[in-house]
Amino acid sequence: MKGILRVAEAHLRTALREKITLFWFLIFPLFLLAILTLIFGNMGTEGEISFAIAVVNLETDTAGPVDFAGIIEGVFEQAGKPSEEGKEPLFAISSPASGEALEDFLASEKKATRFGDRAAVIVIPEGFNQCLLHRMMEDGPSSSANCSLAIYVNEGSAASGMATSIIDQILAGVERDLLTRMGRFQEQKAIPTETLWVGSSGTEVRYVDFLLPGIVLMGFFVNGLFGVPGSILFARDKRVLRRYWVTPLTVTHYLAGFSVGHLMLCLVQFALLLLLGRFAFGATVTFFQPMSILFLLLAAITFLAFGFFVASVAKTANTGMAIANILNMPMMFLGGLFFPVTGLPLVLKAIVFLNPLTYLAKGLRVSVGTEAGTLSVSIIAVPLVWIAVCVAVASWRLSWDVER
Amino acid sequence: MRSFRALLYAECVIFARDKAAFTFTFLFPIIFVLLFGFLMGGMGGAEGARLGLYMPDGGRGEVLEEVLAGIGSISVTHYSDQLALQDALEEKKIDFGLVWDGERLLFHYNCTRVQENYAFQQLATGIAAQFNLSYQGLFPILTAEKIHVGKKASTGWFSSVVPGIMAFSILSAGLFAVSGHITAMKERKLLDQMIVTPMRPIMLLSAVICVRLVIVYISTLITLLVAVVVLKLGFTVAWLRYTVFVTSSTVGVMGLGSLIALVVRRPSSASNIANVVSMLMMFLAGIYFPVEIMPSYLRALSKALPLTYMADAMRYVTGVTEMTEARFWGITIAMLVLAALLLPLLGRYIVKPDRGRY
Repeated sequence: MKGILRVAEAHLRTALREKITLFWFLIFPLFLLAILTLIFGNMGTEGEISFAIAVVNLETDTAGPVDFAGIIEGVFEQAGKPSEEGKEPLFAISSPASGEALEDFLASEKKATRFGDRAAVIVIPEGFNQCLLHRMMEDGPSSSANCSLAIYVNEGSAASGMATSIIDQILAGVERDLLTRMGRFQEQKAIPTETLWVGSSGTEVRYVDFLLPGIVLMGFFVNGLFGVPGSILFARDKRVLRRYWVTPLTVTHYLAGFSVGHLMLCLVQFALLLLLGRFAFGATVTFFQPMSILFLLLAAITFLAFGFFVASVAKTANTGMAIANILNMPMMFLGGLFFPVTGLPLVLKAIVFLNPLTYLAKGLRVSVGTEAGTLSVSIIAVPLVWIAVCVAVASWRLSWDVER
Repeated sequence: MRSFRALLYAECVIFARDKAAFTFTFLFPIIFVLLFGFLMGGMGGAEGARLGLYMPDGGRGEVLEEVLAGIGSISVTHYSDQLALQDALEEKKIDFGLVWDGERLLFHYNCTRVQENYAFQQLATGIAAQFNLSYQGLFPILTAEKIHVGKKASTGWFSSVVPGIMAFSILSAGLFAVSGHITAMKERKLLDQMIVTPMRPIMLLSAVICVRLVIVYISTLITLLVAVVVLKLGFTVAWLRYTVFVTSSTVGVMGLGSLIALVVRRPSSASNIANVVSMLMMFLAGIYFPVEIMPSYLRALSKALPLTYMADAMRYVTGVTEMTEARFWGITIAMLVLAALLLPLLGRYIVKPDRGRY
């Protein structure tokens, strides 16, 4: 027992002393959690996103009963101001320089949209007020082009697409307001809209709560995939293992100690991620329940076994690292750790189906309540089969000493 | 000249034998393109969204059907009960659901689709607005015509991601070429051995740069080819500008790699720093998602990253987006200036013997 603990301690100390280990197993998951939460954590929240747009009002006839063009321009000007102090406005609206002709301004803004410097340019055409007034009095749709706003967008730009959908929403609000004021739309008869969140949490899952289980699994996965073959194969190639074998320590004892050390490293990794997620980003997801702990343990053991599998099929440490590098990205992304895995071709579906990460990610997320669904037998069975296969292959193929 | 040829040959052999470098340079961009192409093809937008619809008593359901038919970009599946709709939503067979009971519109979302729900909610707001008008027998009065002003009407999200990935592969290959490779040579004292030969350090530097330039160029071409053949994307490559840009950006990022090599001595530390730098840039340079969705301080940081400009220029030379000539040449020349300023520092690093270790 003492020998096992000594090996575990040695493994942990070696891992924590190695800068590469520290980086990939501890710093990188923390970095990824931080950067993805900062980017996606407030996606779509007013005050956090901002689009550069321009509003060009070409309407010159403002003498009619209602200046619709002015109202629309005013609404967008309002959207160009921050909703509260310290927050960013939804739109950064560019205006023509003093003395600049509107046509010239429009041309330069369209050019800016082409070059990706503006997300959209909204143009209110001349004759808009009169046309809209007629349209409101009519009972059917008008075909006059003067009634239609022109929104210049760049379809190649994702920002353009997002800005356009926000503009559409604002215009829908203005339209409803105008129709209500004219007595055409009856607000009391408006159909209410409600939202129902489907899933075990029953409410919208925060991005950090969705991401944290994925990053924890990524950490365990990278730890097993790179850490295990790296440690074993480098120790074997540098004849460190050979020194162990001249001591009373058996391979079984060494394996047990190595596994305990590996699990301790996973625990350190998990604790750091949890602390960062909870205290820096306000994650509320709780792992301290029997099913979640079971999945965390199952994940750590699965990837430990997977690491032994990679070590057993690689002849040298460098080959082991190359295999790990090739497997890393496809397995990680096709396991649904960061993005939902849907609409894939057959070959990639097969990888998703065989990938232990798919089941572990689903199991862990369902158990912590950030994914809908039930815990089926396959969620536990597939990782167990992987463990069995990996252990069988490793015990058959893994050589514990360099070939003489 | 003979010695230079020998160095070129040696660098080629070193690269071919380095499985990790080979994987990172050639395989990774392809994996990135294929994985992200299939995984994230429609992310960020609601184009082609699948709506599940359940109308228990059909209270003027025909109006809703008409509104949904007019949306065009979504497909609608009818469900016979609310539970079946919710199951389909949980199993991701549909993207969002709608129950119309004659009194309210109840939109259903899968609470775990955190990155996509925003787009579905936007779409739902549009449906609700239009239905409200139609329900009261009104027609939309405030119509807006979308006019595309970009270069290619067919340009989609992924067409702009591929050049971004190519720019990223240039960045990582350039950074690692210097920070990893040169520091490894330094650690193995190969550089110290070289400076006692008649060979000038500039020769070694030139050999490293030349070999990496060719490798990076081939790597970007392979990535482009995979995107065209497998993902059926179309690019209009301006080959002369493409070649000039790949060359200038590769030497430019090698210059950045020199900074890393000067700061740290050990190749492992240099690789780690290069990894952090490249990962940070990858997330913040607007390669996979628009910078507009980021908080203002990250947007400001994005503007300070060379990868942001490299990705823009790469999109331009592959015909995905437009750019002014001045901006393109500005970026290209800036990368060359970066190389001209920083690579001489690397030259000094090469010739400086590592006396501390003797």
